[in-house]
Amino acid sequence: MTETNSGTPPETFEEFRNSFFYGSRSNLDFKFLTELDAPEASEFFTELLTQLSRTMDDGNAGRLIEHARRWQQRAYGSHAEEKARFRYDDVPHAPLKKKLSDARVALVTSSGHFAEGDDPRPFGVEDMTQAEAEARIGEFLRVEPTLSTIPTGTAPGELRVRHGGYPVAAARLDHNVVLPLRPLLELAAHGVIGELSPTAYSFVGATSQLRLRETVAPVWAEALRADQVDAVLLVPV
Amino acid sequence: MGHVQRAFESAGIPTVGIYIAAFEHVPRLMGVSRALVTDHPLGRPVGAPGDHDRHRDVVRAALELFESPSCPAIATFPHPYRTGH
Repeated sequence: MTETNSGTPPETFEEFRNSFFYGSRSNLDFKFLTELDAPEASEFFTELLTQLSRTMDDGNAGRLIEHARRWQQRAYGSHAEEKARFRYDDVPHAPLKKKLSDARVALVTSSGHFAEGDDPRPFGVEDMTQAEAEARIGEFLRVEPTLSTIPTGTAPGELRVRHGGYPVAAARLDHNVVLPLRPLLELAAHGVIGELSPTAYSFVGATSQLRLRETVAPVWAEALRADQVDAVLLVPV
Repeated sequence: MGHVQRAFESAGIPTVGIYIAAFEHVPRLMGVSRALVTDHPLGRPVGAPGDHDRHRDVVRAALELFESPSCPAIATFPHPYRTGH
């Protein structure tokens, strides 16, 4: 490796693509670049620039979105079976015991939402920023999650979201992209579901999976039973 | 979320999850009861910001899996991601 005049070794392509994963160029939309090998990452950037050139001529940005989406799927989907930490052969199954149109449905998401004034204060930090949540992702992954209670009538302006594991910009523009309260209220109003349970729940899904499985999720199930819900819509991120 | 889904089902609470296509292997490997898979990018599982019609259609399609006779019931939302609505 040659050195530059400043004495700093030049950045390798591997360091460059890994920098989008919680590094100097952290970008959670593109943190998947670390999942690609060097030829694949090269293909991603080359194709991106080709698509960008075409977009300069016709303004069709849809192909750029499609490019990002397709490569996300390719990166996360490749070798998924070998990389999976958990896999189960059984399928626990509870049937819905009444018609959907009579059912009380609750919403539970791993989006990291909470109501204003009810910050879960991870690690005791008041008003933790999104940037800090991303910087401390490793710590989040070692502790058990906090379940935030969100009254379903909470005004959109009073919803907050913070999560170090996924890009929250879209959720900040419109919480329904991952916390779909509005569509559930509409479906209740139209009689598709009986009612939306008055309490929704959210937690930061980047968390200790073992603690979630062994201690936390069974306790949460009891909370949902206490809410007398008939069914739960889950939205993972 | 797979562990939450399994725990709720084991406690007798029926669930359905909305997963993005990049993670379509998760409901399969985790043994979850019901899943709707959307062709949406990370962070927008229900649709793009402001796309209220898509949000409603996705949520409705997920909830309709409660009435599926098969188990597991894993379905793919049939429409591609879109913006500008």
